[in-house]
Amino acid sequence: MPVESPMLHAVAVGSVDDGKSTLIGRLLYETGHLNADEIAHVEEASRKRGRKGLDLALLTDGLRAEREQGITIDVAYRSFDAQGRRILLGDAPGHEQYTRNMVTAAAGADVAILLVDAKNGLTDQTRRHLAICGMLGVSDVVACVNKIDLVEYDQARFAELADELVAASMAIDGPRITPIPLSALEGVNITERSEATAWYDGPTVLDVLHDLDRKVAEEEFRMPVQWVIRHDEGGADVRGLAGRITSGTVEVGDEVVALPSGRTSRISRIDVLGDERPSASAPLSVTLHLEDDVDVSRGDVIAPVGNAPAVASRITATIAWLDEAPLTAPARLEARQGNRLVPVIIEELHERLDLAAMEQVPTDALEVNDLGIATMLSAQPLAVEVYGDNREMGSMVLVDPGSNRTVGAVMVREVIRD
Amino acid sequence: MSTITELSTLDVLEAEAVHIIRECAAECERPVLLFSGGKDSIVLAHLATKAFAPAGLPFPLMHVDTGHNFPEVIEYRDWFVGEIDERLIVASVEESIAQGRVQDETGPRASRNRLQTTTLLDAIAEHQFDACFGGARRDEERARAKERVFSHRDMFGQWDPRNQRPEPWSIYNTKLRKGEHFRVFPLSNWTEVDVWLYIQREGLSLPSIYFAHEREVFMRDGMLMAAADFVERLPNEEVFTETVRFRTVGDATCTAGMKSTAATVEEVLVETRASDISERGASRADDKTSEAAMEDRKRGGYF
Repeated sequence: MPVESPMLHAVAVGSVDDGKSTLIGRLLYETGHLNADEIAHVEEASRKRGRKGLDLALLTDGLRAEREQGITIDVAYRSFDAQGRRILLGDAPGHEQYTRNMVTAAAGADVAILLVDAKNGLTDQTRRHLAICGMLGVSDVVACVNKIDLVEYDQARFAELADELVAASMAIDGPRITPIPLSALEGVNITERSEATAWYDGPTVLDVLHDLDRKVAEEEFRMPVQWVIRHDEGGADVRGLAGRITSGTVEVGDEVVALPSGRTSRISRIDVLGDERPSASAPLSVTLHLEDDVDVSRGDVIAPVGNAPAVASRITATIAWLDEAPLTAPARLEARQGNRLVPVIIEELHERLDLAAMEQVPTDALEVNDLGIATMLSAQPLAVEVYGDNREMGSMVLVDPGSNRTVGAVMVREVIRD
Repeated sequence: MSTITELSTLDVLEAEAVHIIRECAAECERPVLLFSGGKDSIVLAHLATKAFAPAGLPFPLMHVDTGHNFPEVIEYRDWFVGEIDERLIVASVEESIAQGRVQDETGPRASRNRLQTTTLLDAIAEHQFDACFGGARRDEERARAKERVFSHRDMFGQWDPRNQRPEPWSIYNTKLRKGEHFRVFPLSNWTEVDVWLYIQREGLSLPSIYFAHEREVFMRDGMLMAAADFVERLPNEEVFTETVRFRTVGDATCTAGMKSTAATVEEVLVETRASDISERGASRADDKTSEAAMEDRKRGGYF
């Protein structure tokens, strides 16, 4: 039975100075997650910088360099409760040069809070962040038309920008948009509706976060094996397959296959951290026992017989390139997928998303912060799926074996059968 | 046997922490779990035992001992380690001082908080640890809110906050060069209340100083500091008896108590939820030295 997720990953995105950090400060403040000493700290830090009033950005811009320059460089994570639901919110950098950190924050997010300045309207960076959210599979965007107080709470201006946002997302087959007129500074429509926008009868930001329909364990059962727990049970050497269920539900008696080997068995026991259960679902960490003593080890994926992912060596994928040194084909790298690390070759680069024109253009290199499409070959076959079908089985991280740096984020578009 | 009908935030946080612990144990050669006897490290060690049960832990615990301890905590530490039947390494700041590796601070404001970094880095080098599990949470402090789950440290133990490895999804890049290590934070996304709720749910016992008790204290910078032999007091700092509990447990020279009558986990939860002051703001003198005190210490290799 799919259940409503008790925890939601959210990310705040948008251009520089559109008010992301202020909104987060407001959200924390209005939901009672900001302590007196933290406010006192922000007051003092604001004064020191000659700011008038409270500069709530100083709350999440915690690094020295960020405070000195007044910008967000890396993601800050804060937790708060939206009427009983836990929200883990990443404050993503708005600057183009830190797009890679924005990708980190948005990968795995259920919802993005996109801020747009009511006066300035949509910028290239707004469209860029919308496109990245779409590619990373963030299916919902709360589009906040911020600083609505600076345009005299003008309903027509809000409607105009709301239409533009919906159109921009439609054009790229992007996320579902929920537009909200907002003033992060004045606290309008964040957790409570405001008289100032009496013409608006939609949800507040908090309402959307609380109500967003996000079921866990809807997809097919998958569990990449992390660790084999061996122990002696009445003279028998028992092997438990420890891992986190990344999607779906598994039950005792289910017929399963271990990939890539293809060996099959049945689930004989499910142990949820010391609690024996008849079934278990994502995202729980469990230990599975099989009826037969088949050879399964770290990196293998357990899946239902008949509904298992494809095993393939060649894929096409969207790559978000994160490294200063550009990617050119062919390139020898390592890919971490599931619990495996395998050598890969980026065989060919096909296209790059031109974020200014918002169109795919042919390319032979990906620069830092670029998003492109490539063909990739792995040294061993992998159990993979298309990212849109299963995020966990369809995502990878690229590592440069020379520098050990994390250089790319990969989303599988197509599995090419051997 | 029970079927899950609903999933709680704690279930999700627990599953995530166990995933991180298993991942590090599988990928790193020689991990170690930093165990202070504080509530976060108790929860962390408990999660680790659950992650590998019924087998034992595939790594030892390590306490960086400043020598300026609350005796109740050391007593608890030794009891806990016996209870879970695992190996504890004690890295001693006293020894670092005796060997001349660090210079003990003197005077009323002396603290061994900073000195711990050298002892920790020496122990990491001596035992060739390539990963240290820590109980730090992102809700604790501004710099910690920025830190990755697998946080890379160079050969000098330094954190480079401007050049962190991207960490999309739950995929961790665990590659290291010799001499480098990771600090791994399975409780990154937990809050102080989550930790208490989990202690309640799992029925974990804690060192007695976490609950209200009478203690000789003195007031410094608006905070109640424990009167101990190794803390030199200023002339105006008079000792008096107060009913207090500690919200965090660290080096006794820089950890403050709070007035409280909360004697059980339930009562502590009520107080924590109602509190208007953050955990570190209430109890850590070491964060107040400058705006970026934590970032600066972390850059140098601190926990």
